[in-house]
Amino acid sequence: MPLALIVILPFAGAVLPALFARTGRDAAALAAFGVSALALGLLLSLAPQVFGGDVVYAGQPWLPRLGLNAHLFLDGLGFLFALLILAIGLLVIVYARSYLPARDAGGRFHALLLLFQGAMLGIVLSDNVLLLLVFWELTSLASFLLIGYWRHQPEARQGARMALTVTVAGGLALIAGMLILGDIAGSYDLTLILQRGAAIRASPQYLPALLLILAGCFTKSAQFPFHFWLPHAMAAPTPVSAYLHSATMVKAGVFLLARLWPVLSGTDAWFYLVATTGLVTMLIGAVVALFRDELKALLAFSTVSHLGLVTMLFGFGTPLAAVAGVFHILNHAIFKAALFMNAGIVDHEVGSRDLRHLGGLAALMPLTATSGAVAAASMAGVPLLNGFLSKEMMLDAAAQAQWAGQGWIVPLVATLAAMVSVAYSLRYAIQVFFVRRHEPYRKNVRDPAPGLWLPPLLLVVVVMLIGVFPGTFAGSLVASAANAVVGAPVRGYELALWHGATPALALSVFAFAGGGILLWRQANTRALWQAAPHPQAKPAFDAAVAAVTDFCRAVTDGLHDGSLRHYLGWIVAGALVVGVGGFLGGGHAVGTRATLAAPPVAIVAWLLLVASCAGVLAFERRRMLALVMLGVIGLIVAFGFLYLSAPDLALTQIAVEVVTVILMLLALTVLPHETPRVAQRPRRLGDGGLATGAGLGAGAAAFALMTRDFDSLSTYYLERSLPDGGGANVVNVILVDFRGFDTFGEIIVLGIAALAVFALVDGARGLARTGAVPGMVAADRHPLLLAVAARVMLPLALVVASYVFLRGHNAPGGGFVAGLIVAIALIMQYVAGGTQWAAQRMRVDVHALIGTGVLLAAATGFSAWVFARPFLTSAYGHLALPLVGRVEVATAMAFDAGVFLTVVGAVMLMLASLGRIGRGPAKPLRTRAAIPPAAPRFAED
Amino acid sequence: MTHWTILPILLPAAVASLLALAGRRDLVLARAASLASAVVLLLVAIGLAAAASDGTIRTYALGDWPAPFGIVLVVDRLSALMLTLTAALALAVLLHCANGWDARGRHFHALFQFQLMGLNGAFLTGDFFNLFVFFEILLIASYGLMVHGGGAARVRAGLQYVVVNLVGSTLFLFAVGLLYGVTGTLNMADLALKVPAVPPADQGLLRSGALLLLFVFALKAALVPLHLWLPGTYSNAPAPVAALFAVLTKVGAYAIIRLSTLAFGDTAGDLAWLAAPWLMPAAMLTLTLGMVGVLAARRLAVMISFAVVGSVGTLLIAVALFTQQAIAAALYYLVQSTLAAGAFFLVADLVGERRAKGDLLAAGPRIAQAGLIGALFLLAAIAMTGLPPLSGFVGKLLILDATRDAFNRNWIWSLLLSTSLLAIVGFARAGSVLFWKGGVIGEKVGAQPPRRTVLPVAAVGLLLAANVALTVGAGPVVRYLDAAATQLFAPAAYIDAVLGAEGENE
Amino acid sequence: MELLVASAIGVLTASGVQLVLRGRSFPVVLGLALLSYAVNGFLLASGRLAVGLPPLIRAAGPYTDPLPQALVLTAIVISFGMTAVTVGMAVRSFLESGSDDVDAPAASDGEEAPGR
Repeated sequence: MPLALIVILPFAGAVLPALFARTGRDAAALAAFGVSALALGLLLSLAPQVFGGDVVYAGQPWLPRLGLNAHLFLDGLGFLFALLILAIGLLVIVYARSYLPARDAGGRFHALLLLFQGAMLGIVLSDNVLLLLVFWELTSLASFLLIGYWRHQPEARQGARMALTVTVAGGLALIAGMLILGDIAGSYDLTLILQRGAAIRASPQYLPALLLILAGCFTKSAQFPFHFWLPHAMAAPTPVSAYLHSATMVKAGVFLLARLWPVLSGTDAWFYLVATTGLVTMLIGAVVALFRDELKALLAFSTVSHLGLVTMLFGFGTPLAAVAGVFHILNHAIFKAALFMNAGIVDHEVGSRDLRHLGGLAALMPLTATSGAVAAASMAGVPLLNGFLSKEMMLDAAAQAQWAGQGWIVPLVATLAAMVSVAYSLRYAIQVFFVRRHEPYRKNVRDPAPGLWLPPLLLVVVVMLIGVFPGTFAGSLVASAANAVVGAPVRGYELALWHGATPALALSVFAFAGGGILLWRQANTRALWQAAPHPQAKPAFDAAVAAVTDFCRAVTDGLHDGSLRHYLGWIVAGALVVGVGGFLGGGHAVGTRATLAAPPVAIVAWLLLVASCAGVLAFERRRMLALVMLGVIGLIVAFGFLYLSAPDLALTQIAVEVVTVILMLLALTVLPHETPRVAQRPRRLGDGGLATGAGLGAGAAAFALMTRDFDSLSTYYLERSLPDGGGANVVNVILVDFRGFDTFGEIIVLGIAALAVFALVDGARGLARTGAVPGMVAADRHPLLLAVAARVMLPLALVVASYVFLRGHNAPGGGFVAGLIVAIALIMQYVAGGTQWAAQRMRVDVHALIGTGVLLAAATGFSAWVFARPFLTSAYGHLALPLVGRVEVATAMAFDAGVFLTVVGAVMLMLASLGRIGRGPAKPLRTRAAIPPAAPRFAED
Repeated sequence: MTHWTILPILLPAAVASLLALAGRRDLVLARAASLASAVVLLLVAIGLAAAASDGTIRTYALGDWPAPFGIVLVVDRLSALMLTLTAALALAVLLHCANGWDARGRHFHALFQFQLMGLNGAFLTGDFFNLFVFFEILLIASYGLMVHGGGAARVRAGLQYVVVNLVGSTLFLFAVGLLYGVTGTLNMADLALKVPAVPPADQGLLRSGALLLLFVFALKAALVPLHLWLPGTYSNAPAPVAALFAVLTKVGAYAIIRLSTLAFGDTAGDLAWLAAPWLMPAAMLTLTLGMVGVLAARRLAVMISFAVVGSVGTLLIAVALFTQQAIAAALYYLVQSTLAAGAFFLVADLVGERRAKGDLLAAGPRIAQAGLIGALFLLAAIAMTGLPPLSGFVGKLLILDATRDAFNRNWIWSLLLSTSLLAIVGFARAGSVLFWKGGVIGEKVGAQPPRRTVLPVAAVGLLLAANVALTVGAGPVVRYLDAAATQLFAPAAYIDAVLGAEGENE
Repeated sequence: MELLVASAIGVLTASGVQLVLRGRSFPVVLGLALLSYAVNGFLLASGRLAVGLPPLIRAAGPYTDPLPQALVLTAIVISFGMTAVTVGMAVRSFLESGSDDVDAPAASDGEEAPGR
């Protein structure tokens, strides 16, 4: 299907120039040319059908769920635009080949150009508004990259970003508009939307949709007040300006106006929004253009003005105006592209684009001068040139337009604008080519290589052909396009040179006279202009962006101030709000469960706990003391567990407590022993408030839970533990069997923790300052008594551990506690004997211990697979051991053994790692980021 | 009975243990094992997704104990999707690590595998205390990875990350206690059955517990105001780790979706969708602050981190509607934003290792391979900011379309679109500073490219390719996600699969 | 008894939060330890209190709810691992920067790029 290929080819072909660029600029240009030419050929092959009045469809569903379909269709309007895009594209490629500096092979340039071409074709051929949006944003991106093509120029970068910001902003608005449109129409397919115009105009959502869509169109087509980005886009290489910013991309907006004309036009809102914007833009653009001395700036503003003209024509909402609009799109694209190429040649050959330094080029570069002059004349609307015809039609339509019931406003403004455009067009031609220049040019100026002058010349030929024989050369093109826009055959117009003495003719004569006077009296008009205020767009835009950025920085830095205290404060406060809020959101009744009596011992323990909590808070700055008190608290908690019939917890709690305290002691061998005082009272108060709130919340919740009855899963465990789990200690059976998977995860956490600590400390080697680390780990201080005691203790500890381990399944104990006991005993060896002594005697590799432990646990789990049972399914038998007595030998015990090994390994690794701090070369303190050695350090351990 | 279900958990666990056991002295071995494991994980995940695509929910009763008494793993469309996403991301990140990141500290690959184990477990488990355990696994592994390579700024940020998450874990346990204390169960499906039956007298506590649990998930997902930890963490983490972390926030999002639809959905009586009123405003704020941060950032990694926050906001806006269509859109956005963020962090690494200034957004000499890296940057930025033609745009369209009938439609739309502009402006500035400013066409390149570039670049390519595939194949992908959302909104099937399944499967 | 336990949990939580909000690593570690005591107590409480009824199957029950105990055991172990890592990080951070302050520069600040 050729239609799909037309769009796909440029995208697919975009890689070719990039590849061929290695073999030179000709290859790159040729590749691009070939691709476009092929696409053009395909397009022309479809011409007969389109002119025959039927529409070509292609494509397939893409995301039906969303109504986003890759549907294309080619009607008259699409054909006109596709033709412009491809034909002018070809000429631009030829032109660019000679325009780009010799050292730039242009691979990137032509690739981007093709990407843009594909996107632009996509816009004009989409039969699905969401698909159209895709291509729409793509053109913005391509334009961004092409404007910034000469990245070393600041104005190129800034212009590119400004263009992107404005057009993308419009594009985002357009997205919303299209979604609403699709919502009303019940489909995102254009053909369907086009059929539901009446319903859409009647919908209450019509106005928002219209506003959003217009925002997209006006930004893209540089309509006032969004016109300011276009002049700054002129920082792009001239071929880009000629292609994107005069002939095609900026036409996307007016294309969409034309495309949706049958749906959106015909309402007052449409008329006043679109026609007025167009009218204003036309005038303002023209006036500013008159006073620009820089060639491309002049052309840019004239483009703005002419886009305004077209916008206004579509805004009128009458079929004839629409025809005029379509016709002017065609004409403007042709003569304006020619003019940009012309300006490019002048710049390229003379090295200046400033009207005040130019002149007399007619003699030096006749070919360039001819094409330039003719194109300018067409822009001015001189008869026998295409510009004249569409301007006549424009004035004719304007003459009939009623603005707020006034018949004179539109014609007047339109004529004024025409007048000014005559003036600046003539100024361009005269200043550049005919005015005598006083001092000669530095370098000798000639007509450039054909690659540069041929493309504009060809365009100018077309200008004249259409100008003289409009019917022949543009008739069917315009007709089919106009019919497509209006949605019905348009009658009552003819593309002809002479329509008789119409009011339009009068206005146009008037415009010429006025334009001549304006030019003749240039000095005075300039004085007027200088006197008038000119708001500058760029500074305002930059200031706006800067302001927004500063605001964002203020907000961000204010919130993300790096203070952990603030972060945690938000979390605690949030949790309180959510927790309390949730609680209040639901019903609540005071619990009825009978409470237990509080024996004196419990009260004493409670008092002790509260006291030591207060102590920790009070002496928090004296860290050793605080640590001791923490230990006390831990013991009380353990006692509490024991009292509340949780012996396993008590055992574990104590064991963990010991190791934790050792850990923190090790930390304190490095960390300062004093916390600097924090003075601010408000901060203290804030923290206190949060803390109290959290405490009250937790306490209240706990109390509420404990004072109400509930039934839980537990009965099941109590019943099944002995018969199915083979253990009397239900907690242990849950841990190693019912919920063994939790334990599996838990030992992995422990293992990872050990590895992480090891990695941390290992990385800190060389950071530590020698001598900073006392007692614990230094090799030289190990009192004999302690040493002996420790060595005696070791075997004892091992026995105890194995006892605790074996009885674990039936009585408090188990692999975890046993592991901790062994680990502590071993650590005592370090403490007593010093690291070297212990390390020499301890051959076992703790890393391996962890790995083995986890693998053993996993292996027990896997063993179940043999019996086609899920992971961790247990089995057990009985075995009588001396001293210990009758024990269940459950596979769960192998699992528990895995736990044991992991715990020993992990705790050893943690403590040993932290103990090692302090070894390694001295190193001065640094406060800035450390750059660790990048070389692999896996060899040594 | 199929053991495939548990493989995504056991395989990385085994590999990691072996690496801790034997592989820690041999980087090449470690890399190979780690990569192999990632590949297998990807294949298994795809297999599980394919198996789940017909709508069957597979369960795996650990220890052969029947739910709710034992722990049960569940694979439905959603969890299979998350497994696949994780595996794909992990594979790319591991490839990228060939540029030597994994050599800058100890036990990188072991920790990485444990991280994967934690992630997969969180996506698979059907028991909310077991979910806590897997959260801890993935967190503690992430702590290790976060400070991999060291450096004052990084370790400081790591410390903050750890403390914040430990507070989060404490809250998690409070919530578990509340839920257990009221409903007496730990199994999600069982919870779903118990919640409607809870007497009014206990509903206050139940609500409180449920909301606290979702609050913790929101903390993992970095929902405002619980997002404050994220930018500092991600931007200071080693780039590949940050790339992997792109999926960490999604765990929170996953858990919110899972628990809300399963236990606190339409069937929950008075507690139906109890998260919605909190979630929506917070999500909108998250989106705003995230993109505001993008514009504010002075470093590329920080910029991307804030973009991640923003994407979380976008995602949760869609979630907060709790309609089937919106959840489907949210899932698409979840997948694509994860891939995009991952790719972008890796690109930031490629940029950083080529500049003296690192990823600081300040003009410097033209970097080596500027064309290639610039193109990758452009694509990643397009994907991240939701511009066409990459899947970010599709995702945004899906969400916009899904929120069409939302009560706050206009707010959502204007927010989504205006914040996109912020992001685009921000990343355009970043790109212009990093790739355009300084340096002219044909200029000699100052810095030489780093030694290894093929694999790191290929990794980015892989993620971007996935992104493209997601765009081109949007039709079928969305069909799957639609089905996944449908499954979530009919929790009965899930509950039957879990509680009806006495250990047997299929 | 319930009141004692509940208030104890409250006191532990409050002190824990208070300490965690200090700007230094060591108090933060202490605070986290206190918080873990608190939450372990809370978990146990969620199974309701019982005195002298350990879940060891010998004579016929009644027994206290064993499940929360198992959860607490898991929680204790995990929080121990976490404490170890936190301590390790606090130490490393101190060695890297020479201060045990836990506050970092503002997030969007670009001045301090991390090491590679």
